[in-house]
Amino acid sequence: MEREMILEVVDLDICFQLRGKVLHAIRDVSMELYQGEILAIVGESGSGKSVFTKSFMGLLDKNGYVAGGSIVYFGGEEEREVNLTAISRERDWRRIRGHEIAMIMQDPMTSLNPLKTIGSQIMEAVLLHQKVGRMEAIKRTLKHLEDVGIQEPEKRFEQYPHEFSGGMRQRVVIAIAIACNPKILVCDEPTTALDVTIQAQILDLLKELRHKYNLSVILITHDLGVVANMADRVAVMYAGDIVEIGTSEEIFYDPKHPYTWALLSSLPQAGQKGSDLFSIPGTPPSLYVDIKGDAFANRNPQALKIDFVKRPPYFQVSPTHKAKTWLLDKRAPKVTLPPIVEKIRKGGLF
Amino acid sequence: MKREVLLDVKGLNVTFGEHRKQYNAVKNVNFKIYKGETFGLVGESGSGKTTIGRAIMRIVKSSDGDILYKGEKINGTISQELDQRVMREIQMIFQDPLASLNERAKVDYIVSEGLLNLEHGIGERERKKQVEQALMDVGLLPEFASRFPHEFSGGQRQRIGIARALIMKPDFIVADEPISALDVSIRAQILNLLRDMQKKRQITYLFIAHDLSVMRFIADRIAVIRKGEIVEMAETEDLVAHAMHPYTRALLSAIPMPDPRREKEKKLFIYDPAIHDYSEDKPTWQEVRPGHFVLANQREAGEYKRMYEG
Repeated sequence: MEREMILEVVDLDICFQLRGKVLHAIRDVSMELYQGEILAIVGESGSGKSVFTKSFMGLLDKNGYVAGGSIVYFGGEEEREVNLTAISRERDWRRIRGHEIAMIMQDPMTSLNPLKTIGSQIMEAVLLHQKVGRMEAIKRTLKHLEDVGIQEPEKRFEQYPHEFSGGMRQRVVIAIAIACNPKILVCDEPTTALDVTIQAQILDLLKELRHKYNLSVILITHDLGVVANMADRVAVMYAGDIVEIGTSEEIFYDPKHPYTWALLSSLPQAGQKGSDLFSIPGTPPSLYVDIKGDAFANRNPQALKIDFVKRPPYFQVSPTHKAKTWLLDKRAPKVTLPPIVEKIRKGGLF
Repeated sequence: MKREVLLDVKGLNVTFGEHRKQYNAVKNVNFKIYKGETFGLVGESGSGKTTIGRAIMRIVKSSDGDILYKGEKINGTISQELDQRVMREIQMIFQDPLASLNERAKVDYIVSEGLLNLEHGIGERERKKQVEQALMDVGLLPEFASRFPHEFSGGQRQRIGIARALIMKPDFIVADEPISALDVSIRAQILNLLRDMQKKRQITYLFIAHDLSVMRFIADRIAVIRKGEIVEMAETEDLVAHAMHPYTRALLSAIPMPDPRREKEKKLFIYDPAIHDYSEDKPTWQEVRPGHFVLANQREAGEYKRMYEG
């Protein structure tokens, strides 16, 4: 199955200048995003998942810059390729932001203006991005409200954000993103601030909209349950690098990187009542200094000697699955998989 | 086997506001917590779970009902002597480790504040010794005492919050969403620490959370609360395997599981309160299976019973 690529990141490096020191936040990351897929990026806080996706929209903080590599967007007008790393003017970014790539943030309250009605905030996006008159814009706004599952759109149009519940606000934020008519939707922890039952509804909505608007979705989260529910493919990020990437089935049923194992093992669902839950020893490495070898080596009890010396390249497991770990080398010793993997394979979770 | 009841909550009501603007946050809540167990209180935001925890801590006033701790009533007006004892024996751990620590105070002061307030005349050397011990108990280094909260990571801050509770040698801890603000891998560490402390010191926990998967790992018994009312209460495994109330079943079905095949086939079960017909047959708190309570009327109780028979 050959699918159209919509975004290609090659050897991306992102650095930040902080008090005279350089922080290497993203280290040689390559990734492809295909038309219509949901790609999840998982990792701990500070692993670089937000910085990575912000760079697609020119939203890095002032002290951050792309130090190398490229981000190429294939969805431009008349199928033109756009090299996003070459954009320097704010005016050019505005053609990408919202219009091509839109973003949904974690906290819906901070992304909405408390002083403007819901309707006017969505309409602002419609007027900017859809080139229609006022009457038509109102009509489309109502349609967007309906699309994101908000009942009585005429009444809700006139209301302010504080009159909405958390889940409803997040629906409004999604409506604004959709109104920009983007091809890629970046969702940064879209349900972390919500209750589980509301979370499930928002996730269902995102899946529905993806088909309706033919969106490619990048989902940033630390919740592996959400990933299993949503993602077609999963990228596991650690210390500014994608250490493993594959289809959702491959990552959950056949994970290869020790960090992916550790993440899965520390889930409470993996725990046996009455015995300790697995926790990853140590802390992530400092990104101020050059990392030698495998960044996860000093937290990995099964690390090999070479892990401390040489950074592992990608080893291809299947056409869609690859991981950066020396364990996949022909010469590596056999290691046992953690019990959680077997448990997930057998469907032994409650 | 007769278990010792540590905390007995009887007909608890908490009302906010006055006169026409009254809001009943907690409605007629009953439960017992036995010594040495972890009792879980699960509910969504606004369900009143934190309010119950706060009523037990006496941070909010109860408007009706009794809270009995070791057989003595601790809500309402109580003697100064009991007040001091309860203040020491019941401690709390909060959700947001940054917001709950005084950012202008050093760890040394934060951890020993309780001692300073309740143990007048404690010597400086003794105080220092206890702070160091408390920090080591939660896996921090004694030299951290001279630092400020902002110098720590989220997981370490939560450990400081736990050290502050443990230094009082409490019998009972109310832990209000203690791991919700933490990363997955840090969560595991904090859960292990809490469990470890329980084993070593026979501490009883009231564990408040919205996440049933965490609850299942840590709690011995779980009560599910919705809009200020407990709708179901049972031993953890019994609750998961034999969930009866439709709200509990909706909560269980909404938990995303790290299993893509199963997630993709999953049918979401949405709870609609309108399915209950309470117009004539009123709901009561009933024991449907041994130790398994549910809020239901006579007809529903019969249905719930049949659900898991045979």
